[in-house]
Amino acid sequence: MAIPEEYKLKCDFTIPERYKHHVLTNRKEPNIPACNVKTIPGDMTERGCAFAGSRGVVGGPIGDCIQIIHSPSGCAWYQWGTRRNLSDIYAWAGPNTLCNDSQNRRRAVTSDLLEKDVVFGGMEKLEKTCLEAWRLIPGAAGILIYTTCTSGLIGDDCPSVARRVEREIGKPVFVIDSPGFCGVSQSTGHHHFNVQFYDQVVEYREKHPEACMKEEEKGPYDITIIGEFNMDWDLAYIKPLFEKLGCRVVAVFTGGERLGNLLKIPDAKLNVLHCQRSCTYISDLIKEGFEVPYVNASFFGIEQTAKALREVAEFFGSEEMMEKAEQIIEYELEVISPAIDFYRERLTGKKVGMYVGGPRVWHWQRVMKELGMKVVFGMCTFAHEDDYEKINARAEDGVFLVDNPNEFEIEECLERFKPDLFLTGLKEKYLCRKLGVPTVNSHSYEKGPYACFRGMVNFARDIYEGVYAPVWKFARDKDFI
Amino acid sequence: MTMPLKLNGRLTIEDLNALPEIPIEGITYDQMYIEKQPICPEYIPPDQDIIPSSKRTVVIDPGRICMPFGAMWAAVGVHKCIPFVQGAQGCTTYPRYTFSRIFREPVSIATASFHEDTAVFGGRKNFIDGLRNLIIRYHPEVIAIITVCSSEIIGDDMEGFLEEAQEELEEELGPKILDEVKFVITHTPSFAGSHVEGYNRAAAAFLKTLAKRTTPNNKVNIIPGMITPGDIREIKHILKLMDIEGTILFDISETLDCPLRLPQPMPYYPKGGTRTEDIVNMGNSLMTFALCPDQGGAGAKYLEKRFKMPATIGPLPLGIHSTDLFIKSLAEATGKPIADEIKDERGILIDAMADTFHYTMGMRVAIYGDPDIAAAATRFCCELGMEPAIVGSGTESKQFVKDVWATAYEYDRKPIILNGSDMFEWEDYLKKDKIDLILGNSKAANVSKEADVPLVRIGFPIYDRVGYQRRAYVGYRGGEYLLDLIVNTILDSKFPDDRVQQ
Repeated sequence: MAIPEEYKLKCDFTIPERYKHHVLTNRKEPNIPACNVKTIPGDMTERGCAFAGSRGVVGGPIGDCIQIIHSPSGCAWYQWGTRRNLSDIYAWAGPNTLCNDSQNRRRAVTSDLLEKDVVFGGMEKLEKTCLEAWRLIPGAAGILIYTTCTSGLIGDDCPSVARRVEREIGKPVFVIDSPGFCGVSQSTGHHHFNVQFYDQVVEYREKHPEACMKEEEKGPYDITIIGEFNMDWDLAYIKPLFEKLGCRVVAVFTGGERLGNLLKIPDAKLNVLHCQRSCTYISDLIKEGFEVPYVNASFFGIEQTAKALREVAEFFGSEEMMEKAEQIIEYELEVISPAIDFYRERLTGKKVGMYVGGPRVWHWQRVMKELGMKVVFGMCTFAHEDDYEKINARAEDGVFLVDNPNEFEIEECLERFKPDLFLTGLKEKYLCRKLGVPTVNSHSYEKGPYACFRGMVNFARDIYEGVYAPVWKFARDKDFI
Repeated sequence: MTMPLKLNGRLTIEDLNALPEIPIEGITYDQMYIEKQPICPEYIPPDQDIIPSSKRTVVIDPGRICMPFGAMWAAVGVHKCIPFVQGAQGCTTYPRYTFSRIFREPVSIATASFHEDTAVFGGRKNFIDGLRNLIIRYHPEVIAIITVCSSEIIGDDMEGFLEEAQEELEEELGPKILDEVKFVITHTPSFAGSHVEGYNRAAAAFLKTLAKRTTPNNKVNIIPGMITPGDIREIKHILKLMDIEGTILFDISETLDCPLRLPQPMPYYPKGGTRTEDIVNMGNSLMTFALCPDQGGAGAKYLEKRFKMPATIGPLPLGIHSTDLFIKSLAEATGKPIADEIKDERGILIDAMADTFHYTMGMRVAIYGDPDIAAAATRFCCELGMEPAIVGSGTESKQFVKDVWATAYEYDRKPIILNGSDMFEWEDYLKKDKIDLILGNSKAANVSKEADVPLVRIGFPIYDRVGYQRRAYVGYRGGEYLLDLIVNTILDSKFPDDRVQQ
């Protein structure tokens, strides 16, 4: 359904094609905005590139590989220790000391393409880069090579380089070909990583059966967690919760994980899929290729975390596990109730705007409700139709949704809906604060982890701090306007 | 409600999940303990033969960012100027993240949003549509058109595209539109240089496109380079004390460090930045100072060649000697006397140095940064009686080597100079040497912790502390601030608690 006249943002009068990207939610007949389509040039989009999706989001958290960016040094620099995808795997800094930051964030490794490479090709340089990096950062489990605009456009055959390097070093060398200009947003990069990584894992397992899990090692309740990137140590709450249930977490795709464990993902009994935007692809591939099913799950908030536990227990069909799930849920609620009650009392009725990449806008609808807050508008950078279906299903009716919002639309929505808090990312954070609207960093968090029952207290606390910080009172003092 | 539970000590993941109650304040970072797992069981040393960057191809921990970033930094310092990046969306989004991390400020940068079809057919349509959409919604006064790797490789003819775009704009919006907005094109393929060169090229491009010679005036031009908003305020302060009128290109002091004052204009524009008319007028000035030779020198050279305007290129006025040179050149160029207040400010810095040389003398320092900053910091360290042991620059620069050698010769020091090297090599030298102090940016923080050598933050980028962007390092007052940072860091790390006072 087209957006009603009174909801049309003024800033878009001159680019009316943007109105296709605006809808009001409806639970019965979901309204899906135009999405996952090209950005209007010059509209001040907040979107990133495919490389950001592949290297930054999905590949970045892998903990024990050397991740080589085949590009001029800039692309590698931007990926160097920025996103808060944490890991506990650290390279050696010296004989008795480990590095100060985990392997996936500590270094930026690049082939540093120069003008002559752009003219004559960069394959030889890439090969040398890989072999030298292997000698300088010893102990890694393999190499991941990422292409960028430059290497993509000059047409280097990176897979052939990878095969030669793999023979030389005797460890997996995978290529993720996802130049920045591919697709319409970072979402394309997620897709590329999923498909290409899966293909190379399958090929590697065929050539190296010893990389697969041995039959005798397999357990009845082996699960993996797919699409969980360990932002600010979310896994510190997610993993133990499933272990308490009686499951064994074989691997996490990809939060802080070792490559060796990622090679064993197809050997699990069930995949629990958290980020259903960036990692449904690989879950589907595993289901097709290895007949390992997956369940969709959300680890944010009380109701959804409880549902995830129940569904995993139900999948295994064990009475004991189902009982265990209920016990865990009951206990965890007791553990967090005093804190959550404290915050709910203070946050009830507050209005919240939400702008995250895609899935968190639906992951968090229920969480906001559990805190007594009212979602007044939602925005997604790279969501697809299925994400908007989920938002429609979870939100109240009539919530204003914007697909791929641009800076001006964000400003106008803040003015129109006057939220008490805006859940958003780093780039938008300072704009909103400049306009007097508190924010909580919803990509890397303020002070996480935010996942599961226990993490929800941190989330509630950061929201409370945003809404109640004394600074806003001074900013709004009429005598100084 | 139950009483909040107080937690002490560090909690492992196991402990966290066993807590019978989560306190109201949640779990704080200092309570959470994550045990580090080594990447492999035993330490394996890196191959020593290829640690020097001259002996290898791979670059590990580059001390340089991409060329377009420097051009964006420059453009952000112009009033109501929006950079328009002719490339993929990441080429805009990543720099915006970087600006936000360092300055904690919003930065508006537009993108042509290259997708596959653009890479095949060229960026003409995206460019023309993009300019139109940007102008019609944001009404910028200047658009800084910035190319990147992809648009340069596919060979986008930006000058031709701009002509076409202007024709179309005129047709849709009337001829007046072309008086309202100016366009400056900067070509910045990242494979041809770093952010340092990007800023340099932007300085030349802005002046070539906009500066005119009409009626000469008594102003001076200052191209500051990639220094902090605080630094630029300090330069303005010096000009004011000297009673000199100046134009600063690019003035980020009120675009990347802005007040929160409601209500704000919509769309949000910071109120500061160098005015277009002032840039036009830069052709009429007495002379040009490019404070950083590699970041802005090209702009000063252009004015010198085009309008025969004298140019003073470097050194960055940081520390006593270089600030002295700057002040003297200013006085000579304008015929104004050196203001008494300035002599007092110099005196205060000299006084501070006289009070603290027992702390600083003989300290061995490792320095890393952009060439101009690293060279300037080296000189100041020598002035404090410190010994620069390793001096590294992420971007290669002949001027950097020349400046550091000149300082070293003057003070009889023999630093290892790493020109255009990566931080991996610099780090290796540092870890093998006996170093007392590091002067470097936030990228040196991990090295500092691993080698247990304290870090004084200076240069680009600083994103792991607050407030550095508001402080000045240049001028006498900036020297005072940097001196305080250095001495206090030494007191913290080198002096036992019972001997920090006299």
